[in-house]
Amino acid sequence: MNISIEKKEFSEAVHTASRFAERKSGTLPVLSSILILAGDDGIKMRATNLETGIDLKINGEVKSDGVVAIPAVVLQQIASSLTNDGKIDLEHTGDIVSLVSGMGKSSIKTVPYDDFPLIPFPENPKNRIVLPGVLLRSLFTTVASCASTSTIRPELSSIYIVIEGGILTAVATDSFRLAEKKVPLSNKGTQGKFLIPAKNAMEIAQALPDDDIIMSFDENQCAFVGNTGMIVSRLTNATYPDYRQIIPKESIVEAIVLRKDFEMALKRTTVFSDSFQKVRVSFDPKKKSFSFFARNADIGESSETLPAQISGSALDISFNHRYLSAVLALTSAESISILASGIGRPLILKGVGDTSLLYLVSPMNQ
Amino acid sequence: MDKGNPRELWEYVLTQIELSISPANFNTWFRNSFIVKIGEDSVIYIGVPSQFFKDWYLKKFHSLLLKIVRDVSYEFRNIEYLIVKDEHRKIPKETKNVRGAMELPLDEFYINKSDSLNPRYTFETFVIGSFNNLAYAASQAVLNRPGITYNPLFIYGDTGRGKTHLIQAIGNQFKKQYPGQKVFYLTSEKFVVDYTDSVQAGTANRFKDKYRHYDLLIMDDIQFLSKKEKSEEELFHLFNALHDMNKQIIFSSDRSPVSIPDITERLKGRLASGMTIDIGEPDPESRMAIVKKKAASHGVILSDEVIEYVATSMSGSIRELEGMVNSIICHAQVKGFAPDIAEVRQSLRSFTRPQKNISVKNVVDRVAEYYGIDEESIYEKTRRREVVRPRQVIMYLLREDFSASYPTIGTKLGGRDHTTVIHSCEKIKREVIVDSELAKEIQDIRTLLV
Repeated sequence: MNISIEKKEFSEAVHTASRFAERKSGTLPVLSSILILAGDDGIKMRATNLETGIDLKINGEVKSDGVVAIPAVVLQQIASSLTNDGKIDLEHTGDIVSLVSGMGKSSIKTVPYDDFPLIPFPENPKNRIVLPGVLLRSLFTTVASCASTSTIRPELSSIYIVIEGGILTAVATDSFRLAEKKVPLSNKGTQGKFLIPAKNAMEIAQALPDDDIIMSFDENQCAFVGNTGMIVSRLTNATYPDYRQIIPKESIVEAIVLRKDFEMALKRTTVFSDSFQKVRVSFDPKKKSFSFFARNADIGESSETLPAQISGSALDISFNHRYLSAVLALTSAESISILASGIGRPLILKGVGDTSLLYLVSPMNQ
Repeated sequence: MDKGNPRELWEYVLTQIELSISPANFNTWFRNSFIVKIGEDSVIYIGVPSQFFKDWYLKKFHSLLLKIVRDVSYEFRNIEYLIVKDEHRKIPKETKNVRGAMELPLDEFYINKSDSLNPRYTFETFVIGSFNNLAYAASQAVLNRPGITYNPLFIYGDTGRGKTHLIQAIGNQFKKQYPGQKVFYLTSEKFVVDYTDSVQAGTANRFKDKYRHYDLLIMDDIQFLSKKEKSEEELFHLFNALHDMNKQIIFSSDRSPVSIPDITERLKGRLASGMTIDIGEPDPESRMAIVKKKAASHGVILSDEVIEYVATSMSGSIRELEGMVNSIICHAQVKGFAPDIAEVRQSLRSFTRPQKNISVKNVVDRVAEYYGIDEESIYEKTRRREVVRPRQVIMYLLREDFSASYPTIGTKLGGRDHTTVIHSCEKIKREVIVDSELAKEIQDIRTLLV
């Protein structure tokens, strides 16, 4: 094999591909490698950790065909140290790959690639939708943080994707809070739902191109195909809990506050929160105020009142402050609407004017 | 292996696959898979975690897996791969089913929980000979009038003479004769552990009560109580309590009460206060009777020739004799017929001590090396202290372990008179008993010579 690639193109590809290589040791060595293929259909980089996989197309010049597997860590370190413009040449002889860039030359030992797994494409991709990669990326990155990190319940550590009536809904919950985000689709025909592991979704989001991609899925596998390549992920085979039934239908009080007020007040209050990260939220319709209160036996206490538009009855209710502040990452709206439906019932947070988001937080015991 | 059980079949498949692929490969591809079910049409369904696995199994492992399951049974038609739901991945651990059939029985080691007696030890299986006649008679007397005739009964003798058998047989017989009375058998070591545990747990009172309500208490290997003062004291009180209530107590030990070192005088006196009986070495006739009885109890009839060979080929404890008989029985059970003399000789080779054929020079070399002296000096006429001692040790070893004659030893070691040799041997023999340092040296040299 003998290929020549632009340095910039090369490092970007290596960074993208190496995300999908296996990082744990003790598995097949070839899984922690990047497979570079040169052939009639151009240059490709492949990597997989058997959860997710990538097949990336790279622009470059193919002087002679071939396949080679190189440890991802080594490639990544080389790629991040490349400077200047210009090209990098890869030449494969025996079990050594020579990388020549400008004046430097490095020889890397290759890994036998016989055991490199196939990257599976969904068998029957009848479920396919087209959407901009940038949209899917923001969807995954925002919602995935609300998924559970524990592996005990695989469905809770996954993002639930529902495609229905031209709307794609992504849901993630760790049973303490829940985020639901909707995006409209141009293609209205497709229907379906699947569960993608949140960890995989985060990795995929980083590698998605900005342009339109085709997302296809079947029972066990989903694929994201763009003009730069294909990414696949295993899907979680589990039933997602019926989350809709925990969303309160009506509320007893609603407050609308400015985002920046909310953010700063919460930030100051959390300094005084206790080891349970508890913050009390008070709605006061008479004084037209919304306030935070926190007390820590060791530090002291603090209360912050912010002006708000309030309609409904007065209510005091406590929450984990981390779950409250998470809403800020989910919406970019200037004002936030907070709906409560009583003691011991979850709080709903929305961005005013942002109908795509629904965020739900369970209260703490009083 | 039950080929209809998916779990067992999969375990077999895994062991086979592990041999044919690299560990990294095995860990990556086979850790999370299992057989979901075996279909009625003899298709095996293997559950795998994801599409990656399914494709790879089909591409790489299908033919190998098929070959392995076909080796198990030709019935299996095909293998299909399923991607299984995450929540079903972790299959519940099946309770290990008890296998019957091919296991050789271990019921000899069955022990009754409530009294710790092994029901195997009975008078029916007890061989009475001249060596244990007295002990047997005493135990019968105890059984006829427990707690009155001989209390305590103290039985001692070297290891493997049948002490434990006898005292447990008393316990078992007692249970039969006096139903409703409580018997308890324990070793002195168990007593000590029990006592220390109860002291630690702060339940010493319960410990006292526990042992005081038995009608017959049997304590084995009492010599292990030496130096354990607190336990001894506890035993002393227990003894008094039981003795006052006319409850029978039986002790066993490997030596007589007076020669048990480091136990208090008052306990010694009490141990010896009843009947003290020694079980001697079994005579050849008794040994033959033991072999015969033991084999017969397992339904194996041995020829007289074999019995005689087994009984005489090895001097030593009855326990070793039983071990030999057990191995013969095992052979007989596996082969289905009783072995003849040639086979017995063959199979018992491991029991008989290896014949030592070591030259004098070899012994001299080893001993000289052990003491760090020049081996030539052994043969010389020198009388330097550091040489004399090793030379005497060599003579002793040659005489004791290799049964060389005194004159031979003399000639081989530089033409010494046989009286010199006799003197040396006698000297070392005397010293070994009192000089533990020397005894250890000789022990070390012996291991070097084997």
